[in-house]
Amino acid sequence: MAGWGWGWARAVRGLLLDVSGVLYDSGADGGAPIAGSAEAVRRIKASGLKLQLCTNETQATRADFVRKLRAMGFDVSVAEVTAPAPAACRLLQERGLRPHLLVHHDLVPEFAEIDKTNPNCVVLGDAAEHFTYANLNEAFRLLIGMEKPVLISLGKGRYYKETDGLKLDVGAYMKALEYACDIEAEVVGKPAKSFFESALAELGVPAEQAVMIGDDIVSDVGGAQQCGMRALQVRTGKYRFGHWFRGNLENSSTCSAKAAHFLAGMLDIEKMMLLFSLVGAISFTFQIFQSFTGLLCGGAREGQVMTQSQMVPDGCQQHKDT
Amino acid sequence: PRGRRAQRGGGGGGSRSVPGGAALAAPPFPPLGRARRLRPRTGGRNHPRQGKGSSPLSGLPRLCLVVFLVSLSQRPGLGGPFVLTRLRSAPVTVRFVTNTTKESKRDLLERLTGLGFDIAEHEIFTSLTAARNLLEQQQVRPLLLVDDKALPDFTGIGTDNPNAVVVGLAPEHFHYEMMNRAFRLILEGAPLIAIHKARYFKKKDGLCLGPGPFVTGLEYATDTKATVVGKPEKTFFLEALRGTGCAPEEAVMIGDDCRDDVGGAQQAGMRGILVRTGKYRPADEDKINPAPYLTCENFPEAVEHILKQML
Repeated sequence: MAGWGWGWARAVRGLLLDVSGVLYDSGADGGAPIAGSAEAVRRIKASGLKLQLCTNETQATRADFVRKLRAMGFDVSVAEVTAPAPAACRLLQERGLRPHLLVHHDLVPEFAEIDKTNPNCVVLGDAAEHFTYANLNEAFRLLIGMEKPVLISLGKGRYYKETDGLKLDVGAYMKALEYACDIEAEVVGKPAKSFFESALAELGVPAEQAVMIGDDIVSDVGGAQQCGMRALQVRTGKYRFGHWFRGNLENSSTCSAKAAHFLAGMLDIEKMMLLFSLVGAISFTFQIFQSFTGLLCGGAREGQVMTQSQMVPDGCQQHKDT
Repeated sequence: PRGRRAQRGGGGGGSRSVPGGAALAAPPFPPLGRARRLRPRTGGRNHPRQGKGSSPLSGLPRLCLVVFLVSLSQRPGLGGPFVLTRLRSAPVTVRFVTNTTKESKRDLLERLTGLGFDIAEHEIFTSLTAARNLLEQQQVRPLLLVDDKALPDFTGIGTDNPNAVVVGLAPEHFHYEMMNRAFRLILEGAPLIAIHKARYFKKKDGLCLGPGPFVTGLEYATDTKATVVGKPEKTFFLEALRGTGCAPEEAVMIGDDCRDDVGGAQQAGMRGILVRTGKYRPADEDKINPAPYLTCENFPEAVEHILKQML
């Protein structure tokens, strides 16, 4: 907890924001913004903090994606978006790979400059309805026929939330092809470290001065913390109660992330800044208390969180344990 | 009497002679004892059974023969049906097992009777039967992602408002919408039952994805583990033996797939006989540990060995 006690007093100069599940929920009809998020983005910009959208969305080109967000009231531009497809293109060009694309139709233009003849690798994106048996079989046959099969997956999320419910994400299909061919895929996008690093480069802020905000405990929070950033999980989007027990989060600052997550209902930057200092002060106090009693948590991460949960306001809903 | 079984015979099987000169790797199993000779009964399947685990009628050996169905039906010309008739006059219970997910028991029965085999429906055990037994045991209503031709094996099980998911080989169901339906059910707590997890299979026009990849994808997305009911899972063999009154140690499996048939059966505590027909490839018997109890040329030879050496 030491890193959080006074650590939060360190300046935060930039924010990486996940998009789906934080700013808006995607859907067949274009999706719907999450209440208060557009206003929050405006306030971030007005406060002088730098902003970069760090998304794994691969159902559209960046230009179309930004157009959609702007139509919902988000004041963002293409330069402020870090997405997997351009990163994958760079990778393909560096390694001389010619891809067979199993991606959403609307993403294909991002690969316009790439040679796709006589493919020697498969690129997998969130193809949604295009994840048919026939399409998957085609990708499988190509991979199994390669001497050295290369499978590049744009992200490895398990599922995401759309307006009409939860849906399987590219990760499930990545695992399917990995199992079928007995290979391991390379992930471009969250939670790969290189992806966060390129987002930070585009943000122009070092990791210690950046905070990642997302709804996915593994891809957003876990991945960001592996890079040395601090991270917050919001309870919108795909968030499900109990998932923070499952994340493989080694950084002890997780606990405060979990606490802040309980107390932060919505994306409200100014309140959160105040919160960080408050949480930092409280956890510092607990540490002192802990070292006297030695009984409080028994060293278990969960134990610490349970103690902090006593601070949760009464309105907190208890979801079914997964 | 069962008590003497372990003391009878030599240690390993080194002193045995086997028809066809098949090499016998030293099996780690104690040999089955020689029980008193009895006058042969007609129809081994009519043996009175007192349920699994209860003491047998005095002197009756209990041997259950589990035969992998495909190896039986592939070479009818070798006198398969005749061999089966010989088996019937011996005091053994026979079961025929297969991992198919595309043929119902009735279709299988028709096909085999058409080939001249004298088989009753209750002697056939498929991985679909295993799935059905599990559903009945757990009293759940399944969302069935199985081939239409397999549906007759699930009649009588309610499928309205499903709270379980069964996945077989059913490419027509592996599209995004159906996968999402299954995914949401499992996320809400429905158990995921996989008939088997084959990675792929061969069709005329090339390799095709099996159910395994899709089950793996669902396991990953929901962070759960599927219950696999088909071979080479131990439960498959134990389920096949249920109702025969035989313990695995009293049963023998004959099959052509070293890893899935023989290996799987031996993991379950049975003895395995590998036949050199069908899927068999040279040196297959070296690929599992422990090695097969016996490797021999074909099904009739395997039966000869059993009738002469193991009863």
